[in-house]
Order: sequence, then structure tokens, then C-alpha cells
Amino acid sequence: MIIENTLAALQELATFKTILLMVVGASAGLIAGAIPGFTIAMAVVLTLPFTFGMEASQGIATMIGVYVGGLSGGLMSGILIGIPGTPSSVATTFDGFPMARRGEPGFALGLGVWSSFFGGIISTVMLIAVAPQLARVGLEFQPWDYFALIFFALTVTASLAGENMIKGLISGALGLIIATVGEDDINGVKRFAFGNDYLGEGFAFLPVLIGLFAFSQLMSDVRDRGAARKALSDMQEVDIRIEHMRAIKTIFADWVNVVRSSFIGVFTGVLPAAGSSISNILAYDQAKKASPNPEKFGTGHPGGIIAPESANNATAGGALITMMALGIPGDVITAVMLGALLIHDVVPSPAFISEQPKIAYAIFIAFFLANVLVLALQSGALRGFVLITKVRMYVLASIILVYCGIGVFSLNNIVNDMWTLAIFGIVGYVMRILKFPLAPMILGVVLGPIAERWLSRSLALSTDISEFFTHPWSLFFIIVSVFSIGFSWYQDDRGIKPWTVWYVPLFLLSVTVPLFLMGGYVRPTIAVILLGCSAFLFYRLPQSVQALKNPN
Amino acid sequence: MRALDRDTIVSILLLLFCGFLIWSGTLIRDPQFGELSPAAWPQGVSYVLTAFCLIYFFQNVMRARSSKASGPVDPESENPVGLKAWLIHFANPIACFALYFLFLITLPFFGTLIGGSLLVFALLSLLGGIAPRQLFVHALIAVISVGAMWTIFTFGLRVLLPRGEIMPGI
Repeated sequence: MIIENTLAALQELATFKTILLMVVGASAGLIAGAIPGFTIAMAVVLTLPFTFGMEASQGIATMIGVYVGGLSGGLMSGILIGIPGTPSSVATTFDGFPMARRGEPGFALGLGVWSSFFGGIISTVMLIAVAPQLARVGLEFQPWDYFALIFFALTVTASLAGENMIKGLISGALGLIIATVGEDDINGVKRFAFGNDYLGEGFAFLPVLIGLFAFSQLMSDVRDRGAARKALSDMQEVDIRIEHMRAIKTIFADWVNVVRSSFIGVFTGVLPAAGSSISNILAYDQAKKASPNPEKFGTGHPGGIIAPESANNATAGGALITMMALGIPGDVITAVMLGALLIHDVVPSPAFISEQPKIAYAIFIAFFLANVLVLALQSGALRGFVLITKVRMYVLASIILVYCGIGVFSLNNIVNDMWTLAIFGIVGYVMRILKFPLAPMILGVVLGPIAERWLSRSLALSTDISEFFTHPWSLFFIIVSVFSIGFSWYQDDRGIKPWTVWYVPLFLLSVTVPLFLMGGYVRPTIAVILLGCSAFLFYRLPQSVQALKNPN
Repeated sequence: MRALDRDTIVSILLLLFCGFLIWSGTLIRDPQFGELSPAAWPQGVSYVLTAFCLIYFFQNVMRARSSKASGPVDPESENPVGLKAWLIHFANPIACFALYFLFLITLPFFGTLIGGSLLVFALLSLLGGIAPRQLFVHALIAVISVGAMWTIFTFGLRVLLPRGEIMPGI
């Protein structure tokens, strides 16, 4: 079955056109990722209009190329000019730039390129191994469980929104409201239309997304006239040879770091809304803590490049696991991919891998291929990056602005979508100024209709609200949601306030209840282990409280 | 009386918006079919949003009180004050949005190719300067970039982009 599906997917992907599209996508991603101010999400969003006319697997393969390219591209500017191209390469700059400045840019780039590659490969293996298993678990889900799962995804989104959680929550709720405008999916009743045909049609997801993300980003980039007129860097000539062999040897010598960072990346990717911008810093921090020479981090230490670059590429695999196995986007980029699949009438859900094996396996293969392609394209992209850095920001912004308009029009051939783009461009820009995070809003727009559909299905089966608490998976997600809402407070107060010592044991104790309810052997066994851990932590509780009160 | 800070004003505006949402939620027709009425979800979300906005409002009020107690705010950290300063601060984005809306309004007349080229030219000149040499370069960039996009979408992706009255052929 696996071989059959793999061969069918290979047949789909192993065409000259698809490979060419992936090469173009990966190159575009590499260059876009390398340009400070251009996010990977923006690059993937801008690729979307080109994929409308393609087969689903071809379109997704192209976008995966851009995604993986973008993740790897960020390291170039981070290492060479000290400005991370994307938030996913912030930690790479800590050691990459000092290493480049002390005369080893080729080695730094080599470490980055190969760590990205190995991170991507480990994550591919995890994707292929974990996604079908997780999807199998997902097949047990009933409507109540689905609703609770999406509720959980929304709470995580908001709690990871940054310094101001309430702004993240408001942003997510606004996204849910935006998704309700127009005709209701279940009864066909118009909502918030006020007799206006434009509002009655509702807002198409992609113009909203491109407006919120790309349009508003461009406006932020050109706000300062001086900055807009400057070239991205004053780099003139670059004659850097990537030191492949030396880099590979160093990475093999530090393989524990690669594996640990890749696992951190995959795990972070699996969590809804926790993307590569978090994983690279987490991995860097862990690498530093585990290193025998932590003081050398920040001065051009190879481990400081290997960790973030392995982690950020591995995050992509984790985000794809959640998208493919559960049908919920792991981050904004997979939200765009989810939108692209929906355009092609493919609805990701736990049944996705079994019902659409060709597309699912095409995603697996495309992800692997993209990592290989990106590795091969890095040297060429380096030259492209140097050329692009000579272009002034306002030139790029002006051209991309028009491209955004043409791109969204091509979605449904409706001029109204261009208006939606502009309106949400303003909304996004205002939100940026007011420091409201945009990611929760995007996920609210994507997840809102799905949540409403599952809620409706649950209530159609039974109007008894207690069903949400008696179904084990639903209860599990509700418990996890409650703790995820409190997680940012826990993070802020950990080690400072006594209540935080209760957080972990209470969480472990709470999740054992649904695990016991699930029945079978494996899950109750896990529950017993968690119960043991919880009991141990409760036993140690007085000491932990005492330690907090008397730190010395 | 101390002026309200930006976040407090935003939270008040959001609360007004919530009130509007709750009111408009009552206008949604109920077909009396199915367990979940079409108004239930948007109304539920509106109430949740209102609760968040209230928390945001009280957070801002409390913060304003504590900052008042801790002394005057550093003027360097403040945003532009007054309409004129605000317009100057956000001149570029405002002009870009205005040009984009102008492009959309005139789209039926100019069409994508001409309208798009004019928009790129206008944006480039607005953001980059209007020296004669620059104008020439901007015109060249506008025609080449929009021409290439138009060609790719029209012939490569077979998208029938909006055509204008001025030249119905393109």
C-alpha cells in the first residue's frame, strides 16, 4: 500500500514541469527568505495565485518548495549582513555573523546549509512516520472532539501571540468574526450583510490573508521614506565559496545537537501556532545549555549555527504533520496551504491520508525533494541574493503591491476580491501599528468556519452540552486548552510566584482522567506514568514552594 | 484631566464595535431549522470578543493609573501627537492606499495593464522621487514589470484580467 501510494505520488511529481516548478519555488523561497522584511508566509502567500491553475499536488509541491527555501534562505542575510532574513533565522545570526566577520563566511554558510538539510531530512522521516499514526488516532474523533481540538488550536494561537496575550485573543476573535460575514455554510442565511451584495458574498479567505500579511507588510516597509529608498544592503562583491566538506565533518561531529534541535523543531511545529520563529531560539538555548563551552556561544561557535538551522527546517515537517493528520494548520504557512488544498476541493482531515493518498504522499515526497533542491540551489541563490540586495525597497514594494492585486483577482476572477485585499491591507496595517499580532487573526479566519461546522454537527447529534466533557478526546483537548490559556502567565511567573509550582503537577493529574477514559492498554499505561509523575511533583511541592520563598 | 492613551482609545472603539456586532447579530434571520441557528455562532463569538475587549479596557485603565502614579511619560516613546504630525508620520502608507483605491476605482476605465502600469509608476515616483531621470527609470520599471505580470497571467495562466474601456483589447 505504502509502495503503491509512493509510486503513484512519484508519478505525479516526477515530471519535468513539477520539478521545474519546485526549483523555481525553492529559488524564490531562498531569495525571499534572505530579504529582511519579507517573511516566509508572505513568499508562500504570493506564490498562491500561480498554483490555482495547477493540479493540487503540483501546487502544494511548489508551495512546499517556497516554504523550505524560505526557511533556509533566512540564514544567508543573517550570516552575511547580520540581519536575519526571517524570524526563523534570528538565532543563526548570533554565531553566524561573528563567524563570517572573523573571516569564515564560507564555513558559516556551509554549516547553515547542511544543518538545514539534515534538519529537513530528520523532519521528513518524522512526518512520514508520525502523520499516518496521528491520523489513525484522529479517525477516532467525533464531532465533539473536533470542536474541542479546534478550540485548543485557537487558545494556543492566542497564548503564543507574544507579550500581550489579550491582544492575541482579541485578534483571534476578530478573525472568527471576519469568517462569519456572508452566507452561513449550514443554512445559507446571510450574516452581517446589511443588504449589501459585497458583504453578502463574504470575504474570500485568500484576499483577506494576502491583505493582512503581504499588503500590510509592504506598507510597513515603505513607511519611512529614507529606509524605503535605501538598498537592502551595501554589499558590493561577494566571492564566497561554501565550505561543504568542512561543514559536513563538523556537523557529523556534533550530531547530537542536530538530532536534538531537529526534534525540538518538529515538536514546536506540531504545536498549533508555534512556528520556526520560536523553535530556532529554543534549539539555540538548549544547544548552549548542553555545550561544554557555553561561553563560546555568541562568538562564532559552530553549534550556535547548527542548532537553529536544524530546528527551523524541522519545524516545517512538524507543521505539516498537524495539517495532514488533523486538518488544522500548525502555523500561518500551513494555513495558506490548507487554503490552497481547499481551493482544489481537497479537505485535510484525519481521513485525508487514507482518502487522498496520492496527494498525501506527494506532500511527503515534495518535502523531501524540496530539502534536496534547496541544498543544491544555495550557491546560485547566494548570487541572486546579492543582486536583490542592490534593489531599493520601494521598487520591490511597488511591484509586489500590484502583483498582489492581480494575484487575488485570478483566484475567482472577481474585482471585489481586489477591494477585499485593500480593505484588509488597511486592517492589517492598523493592527501592526497598534501591535496586535496578525497570526491569531489569520488562524481565526481559517478555523472559524471549521469550528462552527463541527459545533453544528455535535449539536445535531445531541443538544446535551455535557457531551463535550464526557467524550475522552474532547475532555482531553478542553483540559489542555485551559492549561494552554494559563501557559503564558506560567511562563512569566515561573520561578517567581508560588502558584507556578502547582501548574505542571495539576496539568499531569488532569490529563490522566481522559487518558483513563480512552480505554485499551497503551493510553491507561501512559496515564499511570503521568499519575506517578504528578504524585512525585505533589510530594516535592512543599520543597519547591520553600525554594521559591528562600532562593538562597 | 489627563488625555486617554492610545490603547484605551482603541479598547473603547473595540467595545463600540462589539456593541454594533451584538446588535447586528440580532438582525440575522433564523430559519428555525437545525439545532444551531445561523446567529448563534457569531453572537457567541461577539460576546467572547466583548469580554476580551473589556479585559483589555480595564488593563489599559489600570496601567494608565499606575503610570500616572509613577510620573510623566517619556515624550520620546510617544506616538505622533496631533493630526498634522500623524499625517506626516504615516504619509507614505496613506498615499499608497489612496493610490491603490484610485487604481481600483479607475480599473474599469484603464484595465489591468494600463492601470497597473500607472499605479506602479505613481507608487515609484511617490516613494522614490520625481527627478526627470528617475521618472524615466520608474516608467521603464512600471511598463516592464506590469507587462511581464500581465503576460504571465494572461497567456501563461489563462486568467482573463479586467480590461478597460480605454483599450478594450487589453
